[in-house]
Amino acid sequence: MEPRQIRTFTERYLANHGCHIIESSPAHLVTQLSIQADKDLLNRPFYWMYVERCNLEPQPARLCLIFDPEKCPEDVKGEYLFYGSPRFSRFLSSALQHGQFVRLYQQPSGRNPYMYVSKPYTPWLAVNFKISYICDQKKDRISYLGINLQNGHILEPFYQTIRQLSWTSKLPAQRHTIEPRLSIAEAVGELEYYLQDQLENEDQTWAEEAMERLDLELNQLDSYYPDETKISAELSQEKKQRRRETIWQYHPRVEVSVINAGLFYVEQLPPSLEN
Amino acid sequence: MRQLPIRMDRQWLNKFQHLIENDTGWSNWERFQLALEAAEAQIVPTFDSIQSLNQIQGFEPLPHQIDVVRRVINEMRGRAILADEVGLGKTIEAGLILKEYVIRGLVKNALILVPSSLVLQWTRELNQKFQIPAVAQKKEWMWDKCDFIVASLDTAKRDPHRQYVLSKHYDLLIVDEAHKLKNRRTKNWQFVNQLQKKYCLLLTATPVQNEMNELYNLVTLLKPGQLGNESRFQSDYVAGKRKAKNEEQLREEISRVLIRNRRRDSNLNLTRRIVKTIPIQLSPAERALYEGITQFVRSRYQSHAADLKSMLALLVLQKEVCSSRDAVFHTLFKLFQRGEQGKETLSPEVAHLAELLRAVTSSSKVDTAIKLIKEISPDKVIVFTEYRATQDMLIRELAKEGIHAVPYRGGFNRNKKDWMMELFQKRAQVMVATEAGGEGINLQFCHHIINFDMPWNPMRVEQRIGRVHRLGQKSDVHIYNFATENTIEEHIIWLLHEKIQLFETVVGELETILNKMEEEESMEQSLMRIMLESDDDRQVRQRLNEWGESFHKKIQTVQEQKERQEVLLYGTQAD
Repeated sequence: MEPRQIRTFTERYLANHGCHIIESSPAHLVTQLSIQADKDLLNRPFYWMYVERCNLEPQPARLCLIFDPEKCPEDVKGEYLFYGSPRFSRFLSSALQHGQFVRLYQQPSGRNPYMYVSKPYTPWLAVNFKISYICDQKKDRISYLGINLQNGHILEPFYQTIRQLSWTSKLPAQRHTIEPRLSIAEAVGELEYYLQDQLENEDQTWAEEAMERLDLELNQLDSYYPDETKISAELSQEKKQRRRETIWQYHPRVEVSVINAGLFYVEQLPPSLEN
Repeated sequence: MRQLPIRMDRQWLNKFQHLIENDTGWSNWERFQLALEAAEAQIVPTFDSIQSLNQIQGFEPLPHQIDVVRRVINEMRGRAILADEVGLGKTIEAGLILKEYVIRGLVKNALILVPSSLVLQWTRELNQKFQIPAVAQKKEWMWDKCDFIVASLDTAKRDPHRQYVLSKHYDLLIVDEAHKLKNRRTKNWQFVNQLQKKYCLLLTATPVQNEMNELYNLVTLLKPGQLGNESRFQSDYVAGKRKAKNEEQLREEISRVLIRNRRRDSNLNLTRRIVKTIPIQLSPAERALYEGITQFVRSRYQSHAADLKSMLALLVLQKEVCSSRDAVFHTLFKLFQRGEQGKETLSPEVAHLAELLRAVTSSSKVDTAIKLIKEISPDKVIVFTEYRATQDMLIRELAKEGIHAVPYRGGFNRNKKDWMMELFQKRAQVMVATEAGGEGINLQFCHHIINFDMPWNPMRVEQRIGRVHRLGQKSDVHIYNFATENTIEEHIIWLLHEKIQLFETVVGELETILNKMEEEESMEQSLMRIMLESDDDRQVRQRLNEWGESFHKKIQTVQEQKERQEVLLYGTQAD
């Protein structure tokens, strides 16, 4: 993340978590945190325990964040917020924690021409998967999937499609939702099949190479330790441990976790993207 | 290809369905987007890019350090010996590697084993430079509760700690000063060998000190069998205890697990050191005090001969008198408080010294320092002294001249130290320091050092210079040694400067050499004996000369050792 992105991210986070900006310059800002943001960002559980136990008036802190220490006026006492700083990591994990699950309805774009007829909304399940490819090294990608709960159709990337639309948490007037044919569990199963298939058909050179390295290392261990029959219990133990460590270090695998998910009730997706 | 294991996390699903059933607790669209952006920010897009460089602040890793990180992660797969020469930043390299693995989620816990004197420094560096929440191990419970723990090898290997450490799985193990693991019969080696670890970094500037086997033992900790099994290693590569064969092949094998940067390969030569001895003439009053103290010390020495404790106290006096009147006063006062307690009047001997002290009203050294500092202005200067009393006096005297000087000493807590460093960098022209030890003071922004008085221990001298003359120093470093004429100080400076050429060259192996020198007697003791036992200056000079000669011999031995190591690792002679 670039410093500019850090700043916009932080400001959006604060605005969305009930924090007020008291002071702001290009190099810094001062904010009055909300209770929840204070708990998430400042790591002072004892204070909060104390306040809650004793029923005191909670006083969430003010936080002065500096985005550009070079240009910051000298009398501003605050903390430098940069990508990689522990505080910014807290912003990130708080954002992750509070943006997990949504249920949203598409905001109608114009007036409904058929004033007296309710229009149907199609339910979609959106799931953003984080896919990690792991051996002795690691890389990740995000898979933005969506599945139509009416007909099982899967759309990728779904998030990029719905991002351009407006969303509201209340069903707008003169709209109704269609009863889904797929249950959530079934839909998730479908998405997992889809991913599994995709993963198995991907280029797996990285995994093959990791496997080769693993075999090579294991062979080297075998040639280092004398024949199983001839070695002491202690040495045999050591050899087993070394083998475990080697497998731990190299064995290739894929781990899929879910970043967030949502039910999206859609009137119509942008035409260019629905096939 | 065997089936690639794929694990799908489904824990989220319960929570999600729970929300649907209860129809409450939903997040909103903006937060949903923020969460996704947070996840995108944490994605590691490729296997071999280095992410850690974007996540550190306040220092710029050097190209050779970044190169080490790349090679260790991409080629050596996280098991390596980092063997850079002293001062090229092995700690930085190890910190970056740790950070990289942490960012990638490949390391969630790590054990860092270091000599006990370095525990705090390591902890601080990991915290400050790399934002890694490392803690210094103090209590037993910490083994289980802390993910990133810095501990001394000596503590960790002993009960009750040993059991905790051996029962854990560490994603990364770092061992600093890993040459302590060269002998596989030692407890150290066996302990580290038993640790359960995924990645492992061994840090040492001297992977081979004497015998070929040392290297074999280090490599075995990382990757057993990398150099064949023991008998194959002996027959393939060992021609004699200290001699290798099939060197080409051996070097190749070694280079797969060991990285060594040398100054001369990587353009890491430091700037020059420009040394100037500044002779200082004592005023008649100062001279009288010096002679008085010298007389006193000698007579005491002769009457208490061989009593080590009182000898040491006397030695301090002898050195202090070259630093400042204030320093002498302090020690004398304490000495006599004990000796003269209960007496109505001072003994004539003491009264005489007190008289001499009183007669000294100005300090020739201070005058010289003020003049020099004004000449150097506006450049910054760090003044080193051994004595608190001198430090206080200097700051006072400099202030009288309108020169802003800040103090620095070991007794300050961390915050105060940082504060003083910042003041020095931003406001003050001068820092007066009593301590130079490895406490992480880096003063690359300053390139003038005044040695107001001289420690007798070359390591301390080197530490002083090393604060300023280090990687990142862009200017030549000026070193001014104050030498009061016709005193023991002059002798010491002659020895350190002319005889063993301490100042001009970076003697990376100084510690090793000194250890060899001090096998029989500590250096300070040797020097003290010389000073006290000689009849006149000529004899002092002669005996110091002899000492210097034996120092040179040790340098040679160490140099030969180093050459053997270099040949083994590179196939070329060291210069």
